[in-house]
Amino acid sequence: MPAPVIIVIVGIMFWLGYRYYARYLGRKTYGLDPNFVTPAHEFSDGIDFIPTNKHVLFGHHFTSVAGAAPIVGPAIAVFWGWGPALLWIVLGTIFAAGVHDMGSLVVSVRHRARNIGTIAKDIINRRARTLFLIIIFFLLTLVNAVFAVVIGNLFVANPGAVIPIFVQIPIAIAMGQYIYRKRSAALIPSLVALVILYVMIWVGELFPVDIGPIAEAIGMEPRNLWVIIMFAYTLIASRLPVWMLLQPRDYINSHQLFVALAIIVVGVVVGWETIVAPVFNEVPAGSPPIFPFLFITIACGAISGFHSLVASGTTAKQLDKDTDAKHVGYGGALGEGSLAVGAVLAVTAGAAATTADWDALYSDFGTASGGAVGNFVNGIAAFAGNLGIPIALGTVFAAVVVIAFAATTMDTGIRLQRYVVQEIAELAGWKKLSRNLTLASLVAVAVPLAMALLPGGGEQGYTFGVLWQLFGTTNQLTAGLALAVVAVWVTRNGRPSWPVIIPLVFLLTMTVWALIVNLMNFIAAGEWVLAPLDFIIFVLAMWLIVEAAIALRKAYRDGPDAGSSRTGGTISTPAFVHKRERSAADRSTTKPRGEGPHGGPR
Amino acid sequence: MTQIVLVRPWRDAAMGGGCCSAGADGVCLDRPEAAHSDSSDTVFAATYRLLRERLPEADVQIAASSNTIFLVPSSYRAARRNNHNRFESFRRAMASTTAGTVLVDGEILGDIESMGADAVLGKVLASASR
Repeated sequence: MPAPVIIVIVGIMFWLGYRYYARYLGRKTYGLDPNFVTPAHEFSDGIDFIPTNKHVLFGHHFTSVAGAAPIVGPAIAVFWGWGPALLWIVLGTIFAAGVHDMGSLVVSVRHRARNIGTIAKDIINRRARTLFLIIIFFLLTLVNAVFAVVIGNLFVANPGAVIPIFVQIPIAIAMGQYIYRKRSAALIPSLVALVILYVMIWVGELFPVDIGPIAEAIGMEPRNLWVIIMFAYTLIASRLPVWMLLQPRDYINSHQLFVALAIIVVGVVVGWETIVAPVFNEVPAGSPPIFPFLFITIACGAISGFHSLVASGTTAKQLDKDTDAKHVGYGGALGEGSLAVGAVLAVTAGAAATTADWDALYSDFGTASGGAVGNFVNGIAAFAGNLGIPIALGTVFAAVVVIAFAATTMDTGIRLQRYVVQEIAELAGWKKLSRNLTLASLVAVAVPLAMALLPGGGEQGYTFGVLWQLFGTTNQLTAGLALAVVAVWVTRNGRPSWPVIIPLVFLLTMTVWALIVNLMNFIAAGEWVLAPLDFIIFVLAMWLIVEAAIALRKAYRDGPDAGSSRTGGTISTPAFVHKRERSAADRSTTKPRGEGPHGGPR
Repeated sequence: MTQIVLVRPWRDAAMGGGCCSAGADGVCLDRPEAAHSDSSDTVFAATYRLLRERLPEADVQIAASSNTIFLVPSSYRAARRNNHNRFESFRRAMASTTAGTVLVDGEILGDIESMGADAVLGKVLASASR
């Protein structure tokens, strides 16, 4: 199958999804109302709450949700064949991710732009808030662990990437300082930084950094030494102001992403690449079965719980019109799905020249998962080769793209985990931990570090595929919690909830199924670290199912309450007048006195 | 309708990170820092509120300087609409990503922090009357 044909077919399906299904969701399921006074207007302060043009907001939202994870999952999941992987990405994006991202945004907008965790407390019960925090704790732990392993593996496989990645840090800091001190345009220094980075890729290729001898001298696997170095770096980086390193580097990364996407699309078309992988791959006996593991291996790219955090965080505070949720929420999901499709093409059309070569790369699940990111890197290099870029340089370029994204995600992840640790400590009454930033940071780093380094699951420590599956299950649980909140809200409003319930049930079924299979495997293999971890996540999943079922049953039993509260349907209560009827002067004076949008004092 | 865009610097509330991340306000529940605000936002907030109040018909937007997807193409198109050549349009599109910039229909009016809210309003009114 020619890869450009896949691009066209997927493009048409995404367009149809946006044109018809998202419109159905907006009209029937979510009851979007162009006259609804969004929190951006109601609490407009010019700081956090700002009515923002939907194209501006899409730019913010898309760059917040696009990253490395929609690359890794699909690159592993083609192990079962490119057909199932692509089908899950396309159908998942249209019928699950779009519903989830748009729904999280809408439900947050209808609840004063509060985040999903807080809304879960309001809509389901207080226990749901605790559940949210615990799931997020495990999610962030696993995401930091898997990305550290991804970086470690890539550094070992591509020692040429070490210099550009570490040079990117001072470049980003210098760029941030330059923009701040000189009040310069951000784009030009970023493009200059990108050029320097690409020169460093060439330098890195000439001077690869191999820490193998050092690791050997201290009796450690080179990958594990990189993992420790990355966590040490992250501990320091997460204590810096975000404008100093995190945001300049993320800005450079966003431009790297555009370059990578352009290379995928143009490289595939110019080279008229053909997919050499089988549509359905006959996997060896003993491999994880396609059901349910495909659906947790590809989380980001088909549906990702993280998007509910972004949608119900910053984005909801800036939504100008209720109806913009379709463009921003559903459109953002399609953007991430497109990146996942690019990853599938890279590992099925670019990474190998023949089917036999591809079979060797995906001979068993361990090989497939361990080499997945490397296969993506080689695939991008092949596409770049179609554009006249030497393969060796293209390989380091692609490795740098993935590592840079993963490192930035770790930086953000540790910062978020620090907040979550403090929140949990606050709830548990551990005042010392809740108020000590350094202690909270150490906990945030130590747990995923231990997870990435603990022995077991093979000679190299945990096989990457196992860690990735655990990450996928917690990511899907987060999405499940968000979908449960959205489903209860839709049901209470008397609107058709099946578009939310179906992906919710499907997602939870696949997640629980995978957790049970894995649990039995871990116990049979005597994996006494993984088994309890899997069991804890399983308990969280069952807890979520019970809470969601109770809340949904109650919502069905109580019947619709649209019109009786601010959160349902079109607003008709006098306290919340329509936007058209409000003057601009009103907008600046309608903030509730003594209470901010988060429920606390302003 | 006139579109006014205030380009603000990177701020704590938008941490970035891509995909498996979120802003602090996505995970924090009861903590006041969930709604981050930087002091550098004060002048932007004041300018924004003043423009919204005095120019209710105008489309006033705040965009982060990192929002390349929006700023560069929209500024380039606006410059082309205003009959600038391609090079000049490109230069203006690049300049639109400067934190503090005030853009009126794609044209750069000046810097918010050096002008202050009232001066920005005056310049916007003068620009509209031309």
